[in-house]
Amino acid sequence: MSNAPTIFQKRIVIAAAACVAAFALVGIRLVDVTLLNGAISGHRAHFAARETGRADLRDRNGIILARDLPVTDIGARPEYFWDKKQAAHDLAHATGANEAHLAAMFQKKPYVLVAQRVTPDVLDAVMALGLPALDLMPQRKRYYPMGREAAQAIGVTEPDGSGVSGLELGLDKKLKDSKAPIVTSLDARVQFILSSELATARQAYDAHAVGGIVMNVNTGEVLAMASLPDFDPNARSGSEGDSTRNIMAQDAYELGSVFKIFAFTLAMEDHTTRLDETFPIAAGFHIGNHTIHDAEHLPSVMMAKDILAQSSNVGTAQIALRSGPTRQRQFLQNMGLLDAIVTELPERRKPMYPSNWGLTETATIGFGHGISVSPLSFVAAAATVVNGGRKIVPTFLKNPVDSRGAQLIKPETSAQMRDLLRYVVTNGTGKNADVPGYDVGGKTGSAEKNSGGHYVAHKLLTSFCAVFPVHDPRYIVFVMIDEPHGDKASGVMALAGHTAAPVAGHVVSRIAPLLGVPRAPIVVADTHK
Amino acid sequence: MVRMLNFFCVALAGLACLALYRVSEQTRVANAQLTHIRHNITVERSALHVLEADWENVASPDQIQRLAESQTGISNTTSAQLSSFEDLPRRGDSAPLNNTPIQQASAQVTNNAPTAVAGQ
Repeated sequence: MSNAPTIFQKRIVIAAAACVAAFALVGIRLVDVTLLNGAISGHRAHFAARETGRADLRDRNGIILARDLPVTDIGARPEYFWDKKQAAHDLAHATGANEAHLAAMFQKKPYVLVAQRVTPDVLDAVMALGLPALDLMPQRKRYYPMGREAAQAIGVTEPDGSGVSGLELGLDKKLKDSKAPIVTSLDARVQFILSSELATARQAYDAHAVGGIVMNVNTGEVLAMASLPDFDPNARSGSEGDSTRNIMAQDAYELGSVFKIFAFTLAMEDHTTRLDETFPIAAGFHIGNHTIHDAEHLPSVMMAKDILAQSSNVGTAQIALRSGPTRQRQFLQNMGLLDAIVTELPERRKPMYPSNWGLTETATIGFGHGISVSPLSFVAAAATVVNGGRKIVPTFLKNPVDSRGAQLIKPETSAQMRDLLRYVVTNGTGKNADVPGYDVGGKTGSAEKNSGGHYVAHKLLTSFCAVFPVHDPRYIVFVMIDEPHGDKASGVMALAGHTAAPVAGHVVSRIAPLLGVPRAPIVVADTHK
Repeated sequence: MVRMLNFFCVALAGLACLALYRVSEQTRVANAQLTHIRHNITVERSALHVLEADWENVASPDQIQRLAESQTGISNTTSAQLSSFEDLPRRGDSAPLNNTPIQQASAQVTNNAPTAVAGQ
């Protein structure tokens, strides 16, 4: 008799092996689910599932600047309505849709889109109607709680959630990929103050447009950026007079006398001029076929520091010429004023400057004519002048650490320029920007606008660049007013000292306490002397 | 022996079937509950999202300023109205400003009526 297993025994062994394998699989799965929480099979539960399509944009203190909110598109199949007219009336009342249009569509179409992107409270009102055959399609809508403030800087999205402009476009990938909010450098409080002061100024001076920037000179963080006219980012259609253009980043301007900051910085850096050195002013300055004049009557001879304080074009042209075209161009290139500035904002503008940079150009660029830069580029370069002379690149992301880069000018030159800017405010054209307790330094700029190749005397672009506290600078405030008109309060003068300077002063006086800037003792003047 | 083993295996398989059915049923119920809870969480989070955005709107600086001006008559503080503890006079000292006008560059503020701001 053979000991070899029979066919039945073989089948039993195979069946037993299959049973053992099956039990082993069940056992492994049991251990996986109970002890390892699904690590082997990879079927881990996702309790913290992401619920928003696009991450929040927040200000530096956590205030929401932009957020996706759940909204619903409502469709209807009119054939199921018992009373189509009544249904049209009720739905129009609940959603704000046009009742006559709805009623007409309910008679004609088998399917009608009643309302798009309705908010949860409107949806609740629709559901309370108890109508049958409503089609509810969940969607998302980008909401901007700050409304018009910083509308251009924050930007907007397409209905599909893609960024269209501003930080929504510049940070599009981050906003789409990130589950955590993106924290910007903007400060909602500072933004509100800047926007409201600019809106008041625009109205008071009947200006074509106004804009402003507040930036930390050591970190490069932009705390506020406003541009008026603005627009309502929560409304899909703009109102008349609205503008989506961010004039602070997207446009280039001949800024005029604020640019004298750089002519003087270069003169101090290269020791081509002493501050107590005198220059002839009265007769104007002849160069080539041109004669440079000052807008206002000034003394016949002025010291260099008064040339900046009283903003003399004639004096500044002479000082700029001492540096020469090659050195001036190289200096402005180093300061980043001859290239478009790159930040998180997609809107940027290349500067415009003469290809043939001769002596005449050197003189005019010295006082801010013949070169156009974006206000954001100017602010970055001005911050470099006052922050100890180190390069700073503006950023719209929160980064509260010293981000000063390469040393572009000597610290002594920077200190000298800070003193000069303070002198402009205490003894020059910037008096209206002073704020008791906060040592403000700054420079005015009143540039005639170029129209059709000619400068138009009554069309000004005024600006003021304020730095505070000037001896240990933390913030720079830049205000620009396009075509201001003088009013009674400013003595019918539209120059920067009467328009942009007081606006910058008001902004500084309101934001300095909020930002915790140390307050200097207020000087008490003895008026009885 | 083989018969005993077979009987034991069949009995074990039967018991395992029953146990698995029970576990499967419990899992199905738990899954349904989990789905329901997840849905509730989503709805609540969604409501919170809306409420937070709504809060930012009603608590925005311009709303607060408008309310403060209309309800309390409070207006913007000038820098001359702000002070620090170090500036307070010590007991016995005379008032530091003694009602003298404050002047710094163009900004003038009288001590007893500190309402003017820079840019006069």
